[in-house]
Amino acid sequence: MARMKFLCDADRCIECNACVTACKNEHEVPWGINRRRVVTINDGKPGERSISMACMHCTDAPCAAVCPVNCFYTTADAVVLHSKDLCIGCGYCFYACPFGAPQYPKVGNFGSRGKMDKCTYCAGGPEADGSKEEYEKYGANRLAEGKLPLCAEMCSTKSLLAGDGEIIAQIYKERVMKRGYGSGAWGWKTAYRETIES
Amino acid sequence: MASFGRFIRLALGAWALLVLVTVAPASAQQVNPTASAVKEQQLLQELNRVQGRVSIPDQRSGVLEQPQGREWRDFRNVTLPWIGGIAILGMIAGIVIFYLTVGMVRLEAGRSGRTIVRFNAFERFVHWLTATCFIVLAISGLNITFGRPLLLPLMGLEAFSEWSQWGKYAHNYLSFPFTLGVVLIFLMWIGGNIPNKVDVEWAKRGGGMIGHDHPPAYRFNGGQKMIYWIVVIGGGLVAASGYALMFPFYGTGIQGMQMAQIVHSIVAVLFVAAMIGHIYIGTIGMEGAFEAMGSGEVDVNWAREHHSLWLDEQKARTGPNDGQPQPATAAAE
Amino acid sequence: MLIKRTHQHSDRRGSVAESLAGQAGGLDRRSFLRKSGLAGGALAALGTMPLGSVRKAEAAQAGPLTAGATVRKSICTHCSVGCTVTAEVLNGVWIGQEPSWDSPINRGSHCAKGASVRELVHSERRLRYPMKLVGGQWTRVSWETAINEIGDKLQAVREKSGPDSVYWLGSAKMTNEGAYLFRKLGAFWGTNNTDHQARICHSTTVTGVANTWGYGAMTNSYNDIRNAKTQVVLGGNPAEAHPVSLQHLLEGKELQKANFVVIDPRLTRTAAHATEYVRMRPGTDIPILYGMMWHILQNGWEDKEFIRQRVYGFDDIKKEVEKWPPEEVERVTGIPGEQLKRVAKMFATEKPATLIWAMGQTQKTVGTANVRASCILLLMTGNVGGAGMGANIFRGHDNVQGATDVGLDIVTLPFYYGLAEGAWKHWSRVWEVDYDFLKSRFDSKQIMETPGIPLTRWFEAVTLPKDQVAQKDNVKAVFVQGHASNSITRIPESLNGLKALELLVIADPHPTTWASLAVEAGRKDGVYILPVATQFECKGSRVASNRSLQWGEQIVKPIFESKDDLEVIYLMAKKLGFADQMFKKIKVENNLPEAEDVLREMNRGSWSTGYCGQSPERLKAHMKNQAKFDMLSMRAPKDDPEVGGDYYGLPWPCWGAPEVKHPGTPLLYNTNLHVMDGGGTFRPRFGIEREEKLPDGTTRKVSLLADGSYSLGSGIQDGYPEFTLASLKKLGWDTELTEAEMAVINKVNPATPDAVSWALDLSGGIQRVALAHGCVPYGNGKARMNAFGLPDPIPVHREPIYTPRVDLVAKYPTLPDAKQFRMPNIGFSVQKAAVERGIAKQFPLILSSGRLVEYEGGGEETRTNPWLAELQQDMFIEINPADAAERGVKDGGWVWVTGAENNSRAKMKALVTERVGKGVAWMPFHFGGWLGGKDLRGNYPKGTDPIVLGESANTITTYGYDPATNMQETKVTLCQIAAA
Repeated sequence: MARMKFLCDADRCIECNACVTACKNEHEVPWGINRRRVVTINDGKPGERSISMACMHCTDAPCAAVCPVNCFYTTADAVVLHSKDLCIGCGYCFYACPFGAPQYPKVGNFGSRGKMDKCTYCAGGPEADGSKEEYEKYGANRLAEGKLPLCAEMCSTKSLLAGDGEIIAQIYKERVMKRGYGSGAWGWKTAYRETIES
Repeated sequence: MASFGRFIRLALGAWALLVLVTVAPASAQQVNPTASAVKEQQLLQELNRVQGRVSIPDQRSGVLEQPQGREWRDFRNVTLPWIGGIAILGMIAGIVIFYLTVGMVRLEAGRSGRTIVRFNAFERFVHWLTATCFIVLAISGLNITFGRPLLLPLMGLEAFSEWSQWGKYAHNYLSFPFTLGVVLIFLMWIGGNIPNKVDVEWAKRGGGMIGHDHPPAYRFNGGQKMIYWIVVIGGGLVAASGYALMFPFYGTGIQGMQMAQIVHSIVAVLFVAAMIGHIYIGTIGMEGAFEAMGSGEVDVNWAREHHSLWLDEQKARTGPNDGQPQPATAAAE
Repeated sequence: MLIKRTHQHSDRRGSVAESLAGQAGGLDRRSFLRKSGLAGGALAALGTMPLGSVRKAEAAQAGPLTAGATVRKSICTHCSVGCTVTAEVLNGVWIGQEPSWDSPINRGSHCAKGASVRELVHSERRLRYPMKLVGGQWTRVSWETAINEIGDKLQAVREKSGPDSVYWLGSAKMTNEGAYLFRKLGAFWGTNNTDHQARICHSTTVTGVANTWGYGAMTNSYNDIRNAKTQVVLGGNPAEAHPVSLQHLLEGKELQKANFVVIDPRLTRTAAHATEYVRMRPGTDIPILYGMMWHILQNGWEDKEFIRQRVYGFDDIKKEVEKWPPEEVERVTGIPGEQLKRVAKMFATEKPATLIWAMGQTQKTVGTANVRASCILLLMTGNVGGAGMGANIFRGHDNVQGATDVGLDIVTLPFYYGLAEGAWKHWSRVWEVDYDFLKSRFDSKQIMETPGIPLTRWFEAVTLPKDQVAQKDNVKAVFVQGHASNSITRIPESLNGLKALELLVIADPHPTTWASLAVEAGRKDGVYILPVATQFECKGSRVASNRSLQWGEQIVKPIFESKDDLEVIYLMAKKLGFADQMFKKIKVENNLPEAEDVLREMNRGSWSTGYCGQSPERLKAHMKNQAKFDMLSMRAPKDDPEVGGDYYGLPWPCWGAPEVKHPGTPLLYNTNLHVMDGGGTFRPRFGIEREEKLPDGTTRKVSLLADGSYSLGSGIQDGYPEFTLASLKKLGWDTELTEAEMAVINKVNPATPDAVSWALDLSGGIQRVALAHGCVPYGNGKARMNAFGLPDPIPVHREPIYTPRVDLVAKYPTLPDAKQFRMPNIGFSVQKAAVERGIAKQFPLILSSGRLVEYEGGGEETRTNPWLAELQQDMFIEINPADAAERGVKDGGWVWVTGAENNSRAKMKALVTERVGKGVAWMPFHFGGWLGGKDLRGNYPKGTDPIVLGESANTITTYGYDPATNMQETKVTLCQIAAA
């Protein structure tokens, strides 16, 4: 069984934001909701590195653990999804998430959180695969069509990898071996409790 | 088929790369451009978080990684239920034991039939406003912490979510009248709640809870002052921390919100425990006590036994004409 | 490198039982829902689906939302990399974008812009119908009214002031067909005042590089950079400007363990990935290049054999290089000698090495000299004409190379034929119109053969005294189709031009800053806005930076009342009365010229540049068979029936008629290959010999033909001049021409058919015969280190007009004032005045400008796209922490930036960063819609204002024009910053 993961090769990421707009495009994500974002460390200094970040679909996902209404579930592909029908917008998943993935549309007059929205690994939600309802709530379901998340598929420098954890780890390892350096798989230790030797 | 074709291309690509690599002379020097690059582990060791710059206006999203989310998770899923469980269940257990062993604190002198105004209508309105809000806030709040293990299996996901959703609305909206109540309570009763020597004596004598002792007290005895300050300070804290959570990122970051949640939840469960005690003593714990907030008038004997100094004050002010309504301004003295 | 999920649905469902038995966290969807009790919303969402039904069947019936969509391919319009855009269209609506895995160029990838192009078509803020300004109000008009009124006004201007008083400003966004027709429209209208973005983009490259070795284009390709052992980027930030190219650069760097050197005033996002970053003072490219050459010559690292065989003018360069020892280089550029020596050594010894550049070199008063010096470095080290080498010039727009090639320019007719009588006669033969008719359209034969006014000077052509503009009258009307006004320097002065115009026509998908600034200039009428479709609503060919032509399909029909570029051009020609002549050989249906037919006409006339072999049929076959092309060599297997042996996109020159099946030329001047495999030689374009003056006063004749170097399998194993009928005769090859070919040659020049050359022979016979003998039709010459004929034949360092180093101006002054392109260029006087007035003290910071990844060009299109606009919401200026501290400027705080001319000032946010060195400030150039702190949102027609507005960098930029092309100076001027 595949265990889907994301891996951002920081030595390749150039902060082009293709992943961000590909996500917006694929799921018609509204203004102000950033399912994926690119963060630049040491901006403007030698050794500057950018990393594209979204939900990492953690092993033993903290969001799922702290959710008061148990609205999260993990698919057989190890993708962490949630039901917007169940979500009450309490914000707990955001406190627990190590990656700042959960996003909340502002509803009401005082910035109160609406139903949480986050990266679905392009795998939709609980509704029928590819249904209109699923699309409206969660966006496209590429995984059901045998496609991978568009952010990774469109990455300008093939920095952002998506796919089975073992395979992308293998790709990354080979890269590091060939070029002789690598700054590691960012977030893997936190998300999956594992690292890739580099 | 498409994926097969892609696989072939991938394989070809990989082969081409391999050829390239092997053909490339080993003599080529390679400067490691990552040498100067910052490493994840290094940043995590320094700050336990990784932060950078983002171009979107939401600068907080510049926090790339905050593993302390896991610590917060531990608090929320393990520590808090323990604290809350011990405090609340402990309080309930204590009360039950107390009630079974000591029973209701009776009016020793029996009812005199004469009453004295203890809380006027405004005071009682403020009290009940705050109390009602508090109960709803407490239930909806406890639901967030204990609902999932306790109620969800009984109700099912859908119903529980629906209930919790309403609970959240109630929690958010009732926070405003609750805060107002706390503020009014603070202003209204600050006069009678400054701790003094009498309270020391009162505390020394255990508040007269056991046996037939009746330590003297002004309008508010040591216990009530404690409740007052719990309400004012605890209420203030839950309100402040609550608003920090309700208005995400206004003046706080993710760490701030985690701290706020920790403060909010710990104070809240302790608050709930304290209020359970307060409710007990105000209802079945003590004969004649509920009337103070019920009708607002208490029996003079009750006043004599529990608030002797206050009764003296009242008498001195109004003469022996017990039972006459007191002007509302008395509350603000 | 992505791995597809191999497990199908059934596999996922297979674990239901396991997950049910397991932890609550591991449920699959259905069991999860079952557990939820299916109350409320979920039940509604599931509809009538019974519990426990076979979900797979349900899902199959529902299908993905994209089921039934057709897939169409076009080319991204946001830079020159040429990424294929794969669109899914359902019921005429563009519903999704998929990765274009098959494209050998982008291999599925996009940048932020490419991944969001769907929104450009969707956008609710696009222009919907034609409008005109009536009494200061934007008022809807019909297309018919608009075209009629515009046409009548143009005719009136023509009668009063002559055809040159109308300025036709076209676009690099247009397809080849659009750009070509726009140039043709100018020719039939009777003016050479037809220009487009290349003027402010790579005009200096085209001029400088073409004057060195024949053609002004990228010699290699993005993909080929993978072969380089040393990549040097000087004057470019491809990570932001050409993000997908970084896929090739970075993978190449990794696999080759290559040196990746970035020389730039900013530590750019590209530099962040470099193996060596060199910080320089802006505007000192030539000293850097000479500084490298100094080390190379000092150590004998130059490629002596290459220079002997293929280079002219080496000794002249040596003399100039001697003036640049490390101390002087460091004094001028700020780069330590040791560092430059290291870079020079890599470049000369760890070969193949390539030099990559973009606007950093070109947008300078010394732009042409900069690129010349770059070419000279490549020549000196023998790094031209092979894999992994060359001048990899990253162009800006998706079709700026193509629009340049098709001659949407002031100095030439299509395909670099120039403006001389011979060129006009060539094109009148291709167009099958009378040469005298064309001549009659112009004011005079002399002005017909005189280069037009560069777009950088359009407003001066309106406002300068009439006697200073060398044509019949000032410019009175501007017809702009697809060009931003905020990309042009000196915005405050352009307002005077906008006000003085009699007519302004803006044909664009967006109103652009032309509209908002025209209103701001005080115009109440005489402005028309015509809604033009985006390129995704048009079909046609585009040329990527690597010279590959790609055919883009129409993804959806033009939305609202928008019209295809081609249709707008046709309607104008029809109204102006020459459509029958202009479209004599082009099929037109419902006012829309057929793009394929336009390309065929180009094929028939473009022998000089090798655009003759790329028939629409071949280009379409390439798009269809994208997957067959190898990513590295970009070649298809020889046995393929449709595209066998072709290089992707038939990179020009693709010699001969389409039937010759030339595969295209992926690497220019590559002698290692047979010409029919894409090989080539340097083009002897400047005579075959030159008379040189010797110090003793005598002269000698030096050959400009190659010496002992020739392309693989060449029938002539030495240098040779271009082919003419006469030279074929001399070689005895003329007998191989067919009768039909000879007939055409005789028709081309009945008087002296011998003079008919490879470029003028409309039959293609001369090219065919030359190719058959393994010879390059244009000849085999030497590249010129000494480009006699240019203002600076040997590149000379000249300080920017506004330089902080006033101490260097005396030694390195800019060129004297002169008259160029019908206009005065008073750069010298301006520089002198600036030094005398102590401008550098008042404005101590160097101001440079550049690109952001999210936006493009003037930015109206991209700032209207919410997916992009969200990512960059404020105009900003980068300032070094030390400079910021001196001024009390805080990161994210508002500042006023003031410029050295026009009392210009602009309000924006400060970005305090070490990215820029001390004394340097940097602004992105994509913003517009603010002026001097004032928000001009109200000036746009209602509902068409871009989401993000901001101050334009060019409000602050100043005077300065390259003498060879009148390129503007955007990269080095002076400014002052104060906290607002």
